[in-house]
Amino acid sequence: MSVTSDKRAPGVRISDLSVVYRTGAGELPAVRGVDLELEPGTITGVVGESGSGKSTLALSMLNAVQPPGRIRSGSVEIDGLGDVVTLGGDDLRKTRGRHVGYVFQAAQNSLNPLKTVGKQLLDLGRSHDVDDLPGLVKEARSLLDRMGLDGARVLDSYQHELSGGMRQRVGIMLALVLNAHVVVLDEPTTALDMITQATILRIIREVHEERGLTTLVITHDLGVVAEIADRLAVMYGGRLVEQGPTREVLGAPKHPYTQGLLQAIPRLVGDIDEARALPGRPPTLGTIPPDGCVFRERCAVRMDVCETGEPPVLTIGPRVVACHTAAGDGEQKETVTTGPTRGEEQA
Amino acid sequence: MTLIGVPGRSGVIAVARRLAGHLARGLVMILVVTTISFLIIRNIPGDPMAAKYEKLVEQGMSPEAAQQAVNVLYGFMPTGSMWEQYLDYMKGLARFDLGQSLNVPGTGVGTVLMSAAKWTLIPVLAGTLLSFLVGIILGVYAAIKRQSKVGDLLAISGSLLHGLPQYVLALLLAAIFTTLIPILPAGGTADIMFEPGFNAGYIGSLIQHATLPVVTYALSSYGGWILAMKSSVVTVLGDDFILAAELRGMKRSIIFRYIARNAILPLFTILALSLGMLFGGAIFIERIFNYPGLGLMLIDSITGRDYALMGGAFLLITVAIIIANIAADLLYTVIDPRVRSGGEAA
Ligand SMILES: Nc1ncnc2c1ncn2[C@@H]1O[C@H](COP(=O)(O)OP(=O)(O)OP(=O)(O)O)[C@@H](O)[C@H]1O
Ligand code: SF4
Ligand SMILES: [Mg+2]
Repeated sequence: MSVTSDKRAPGVRISDLSVVYRTGAGELPAVRGVDLELEPGTITGVVGESGSGKSTLALSMLNAVQPPGRIRSGSVEIDGLGDVVTLGGDDLRKTRGRHVGYVFQAAQNSLNPLKTVGKQLLDLGRSHDVDDLPGLVKEARSLLDRMGLDGARVLDSYQHELSGGMRQRVGIMLALVLNAHVVVLDEPTTALDMITQATILRIIREVHEERGLTTLVITHDLGVVAEIADRLAVMYGGRLVEQGPTREVLGAPKHPYTQGLLQAIPRLVGDIDEARALPGRPPTLGTIPPDGCVFRERCAVRMDVCETGEPPVLTIGPRVVACHTAAGDGEQKETVTTGPTRGEEQA
Repeated sequence: MTLIGVPGRSGVIAVARRLAGHLARGLVMILVVTTISFLIIRNIPGDPMAAKYEKLVEQGMSPEAAQQAVNVLYGFMPTGSMWEQYLDYMKGLARFDLGQSLNVPGTGVGTVLMSAAKWTLIPVLAGTLLSFLVGIILGVYAAIKRQSKVGDLLAISGSLLHGLPQYVLALLLAAIFTTLIPILPAGGTADIMFEPGFNAGYIGSLIQHATLPVVTYALSSYGGWILAMKSSVVTVLGDDFILAAELRGMKRSIIFRYIARNAILPLFTILALSLGMLFGGAIFIERIFNYPGLGLMLIDSITGRDYALMGGAFLLITVAIIIANIAADLLYTVIDPRVRSGGEAA
């Protein structure tokens, strides 16, 4: 683990977080009872298939879940800021961007098409009462230069004049330029070619270490996590099913879903004949089973108890796994009680 | 480094190219309209020129003098081949000579048109701009409040007014405000008791007389604006960059400007089209309110067989539509960098 000593890096504790979306069938949970701690100065990777609730979790870090969704319960404590879930109005707005930088999943379209990047940078500065606007521009230019772009030229460009990879880097620049110490990146390298992807991951890692950040990277690509994350959390059907140090989880996965994910990737398994795709499809909001294990439909080792019994959340040293098969391997976390409903505080 | 969105050299060239395209298309339109006017004037049954000529001869004019007078009236020689006549007519137009009006003897068509045009142009522009502004502001509001009763009511008011034909609206307003509750004058541009000029009485009377036409233009287009703006804002609200701006902690006022500018863009095209439509609609509105603008003049010229005046009116309406289109397009170009750069992305 890196730079834990940096005093500026804040820790983040997500506790018993549940987020629901209102649908025709009532409010359905997209994130359920998630506990996740981001240690100061670390990069945490969250992986999971499409629809597993990664972006919803990421948006919760800024209390920015969009209607028809809302945070039903839980908290997101950030050192120095308090519980983001209880923030609202201008306090919340100032937290966004200034303290928590966010790279949007659709970073390709994250710019106003009618204004140059530079003008939007100035709008950002004014929004956060930055006095030294020339300094901000200089900082932006140097960040862009580092990411292999011609900073001055990019600031003078409109979105339609930039390629997808350039826009992605502009999105990262805007998340870093105000010197936020918690940074959330939702699929920062999706839709990029391998070389650009490698460059961007390297830069994220570098800036992370230089500035002493606490970083959350969301991805569906285990390769990205393997390359960059200190810790790894695996999501399935809105649940965190396993987490732990990246190497340990990838080297010896404990949850049947993580095992299945790894077996589906030939280059990580080594022998192409052993690559086996997970059978079935990931659940959608409507098909997530309300009780029992969310993964049981696709699980090769499921037992009777998995139909009805909530899998126990077991902590085994630095690792956490939620599965009936792991029972007895470690100590069970005390049963979580659902927190008070906080929906009314949603903006 | 410049942070101001000044169009670069390539941008200026792109703008010039678009403008040239507009002018070329406009010129073609003018040619078509004037040619049609010429053919109508020349081939209308009961040849108005022959009729005029015979009338003058009957009044005791010599055939040569009568011929001369008719030439002056129509701006071209009714003798000679069709082609020569056409060229004569076009040459006259090129010198802005639209011929003489029959209805208002001794006055050039241009002069008659100009004095009527202001009574159409100003009310139509005032009504359109008024409804554009009100419709856009309420459209934004209706979009933001689309989940609530207020939003629904606004949208419904828009649909109702949008569905009502303009002349029905005009008849309703005329019936209510000149007959049922006669608080507004039923015709003309101002009371004759006031001396035309810059005095309160005259200006007050002008406004009073223009109220019904302006309100009709405004109400009949307001519904369209509110609906168009609402749907445009709802589209922009769903755009990724608005959420992205919120996630960056941008101030509400700045995000609001982002939304407004992006949402208003497609409406400029509609503005140009609707101005053209309103000029067409003015024919009915002015008839109903007996308001002496271009529309009423056009009707008079048709009943009075004043073909030169008719041709001139068609030409003027054509030119007005072309200008409205160019203005809307230039505005679009100023606001939208994607249009400005002419699609040559880096
Ligand atoms: N606005 C919404 N209304 C209803 N359901 C939603 C909404 N947004 C997300 N969901 C549902 O919530 C679940 C989680 O969505 P989320 O976007 O968090 O997934 P994700 O893991 O980020 O997926 P991806 O990898 O495709 O980005 C999905 O089942 C999705 O259909
Ligand atoms: S709890 Fe049961 S069904 Fe779920 S992953 Fe473990 S063994 Fe499989
Ligand atoms: Mg996502």
